[in-house]
Amino acid sequence: MTRDFAPLAAALFAAALAVTPALAVDDEAARDQRWTSLRQEVFGDRKVEETKDVVSLEAPARAEDASLVPMALKTADPASIKGLTLVIDENPGPVAARVTFGPAGDAGLLKLRTRVNTYTNVHAVAETTDGKLFQTARFVKASGGCSAPAGTSEAEALRGMGEMRLKVRDEVTPGKSAQATLMIRHPNFNGMQMDQITRAYTPARYIKEIKVTYNDKDVFTLESDISLSTDPVIEFGFKPEAKGQIKVAATDTEDGHWEKTFDVPTQSN
Amino acid sequence: MSGLLRAARLAGVALAIATAAHAAGGPGSAPEPEGLWTGPMQSYTPSTLKGAEVVDVARAAALIEQGAVLIDVGPADRKPPTLPKTAVWAPQHRSIPGSAWFPGAGPGDLSPAQEATLKARVLELAGGRLDRPMVTFCQPDCWGSWNMGKRLLGWGFKNVFWFPQGVQGWQESDRPTAVIKPDSVWAAAAKAEGAPAARQ
Repeated sequence: MTRDFAPLAAALFAAALAVTPALAVDDEAARDQRWTSLRQEVFGDRKVEETKDVVSLEAPARAEDASLVPMALKTADPASIKGLTLVIDENPGPVAARVTFGPAGDAGLLKLRTRVNTYTNVHAVAETTDGKLFQTARFVKASGGCSAPAGTSEAEALRGMGEMRLKVRDEVTPGKSAQATLMIRHPNFNGMQMDQITRAYTPARYIKEIKVTYNDKDVFTLESDISLSTDPVIEFGFKPEAKGQIKVAATDTEDGHWEKTFDVPTQSN
Repeated sequence: MSGLLRAARLAGVALAIATAAHAAGGPGSAPEPEGLWTGPMQSYTPSTLKGAEVVDVARAAALIEQGAVLIDVGPADRKPPTLPKTAVWAPQHRSIPGSAWFPGAGPGDLSPAQEATLKARVLELAGGRLDRPMVTFCQPDCWGSWNMGKRLLGWGFKNVFWFPQGVQGWQESDRPTAVIKPDSVWAAAAKAEGAPAARQ
């Protein structure tokens, strides 16, 4: 395999060296129109104010792997945020995630991994507790993420489905927000991938809801469809108490349901 | 997506189907079949098409400048039947501006009626001239455009160009794309036949 990759790697290196046009704004008007129509479909006639002060979005300008594009949504004043919506404009199912935060949640930083079908604007929309909407956008260069085959057979990809891992990233101090990363094993088949053995499209089966609580208080609820990557990885903020447990419940479109509880030890003094 | 990652992912697939030894070689490693390919549309293709010229992005762009007919056989997005009623479903197709899009025209086993519709329409787009340069494409590792090139050669076209990097390669070179609708004649025929154009 190494031998096969060598010319590829050389070609990639050469491509990276090639001068890229500073701006590749193709049909900006069409992209704006797309967003206007999606915005109306998702948020109706509500006003969505453009800003970078309330919500910001980090995404690679050019993704390495279109089926695993990391997105980070940040909010300046987490306590004032009720929910976040991530829209990948040009994906066939553009709404990648709708997240609602609860009393034990912290909206400061939310990270997701997504599939991107074609060069696209990506919008992060924040809803504040007083019902206002704010948006910010990034242009992401990635293509082919939706039809990329899973890399294994369907049976193989379904093995271990629903297994979860949770990693608390920060030292946990009561009263101070901490970040945690949740990993759920799930192929998240989007119905657009072909099984290389059976030569048929693998039927869609994907996680539609993830609910996370801490000591029975809501951290967040995430609704998603086909734009989250295989084996979803979600980094989120929560507000720990002296001692506690994070409970995760995930449901997919075939009524698969998985729950797991994780102990969250606090730092001993 | 980078070719390296694509190769890595498909290599995993290739290992899974080690019985099809030829597929394990990597992108462009499949041998040319005698006729049209009827296997999986999305898998390693050959790197050649006998009787046609294989072109890269720069060559494709030059051909377009010279007025080549662009035939896109990329698949239409398939709506998952399990998508919640409240979910937003808004598929669209980006392609090289000026292309005629024939979703579902890639498979080697089209019905005789589909084949006839496709041939008549493509001939019409070429103004009846078999010497017209014709560029076929979809996306990398997609047999549809290889089959389309093979069909064109079979129909007697003299200047057939196969562009395997397709829309992805075009886009990754930061050339403009446009949202296009399926070819109207092809779509109308597919509708009349009751076969969704979404079939790849």
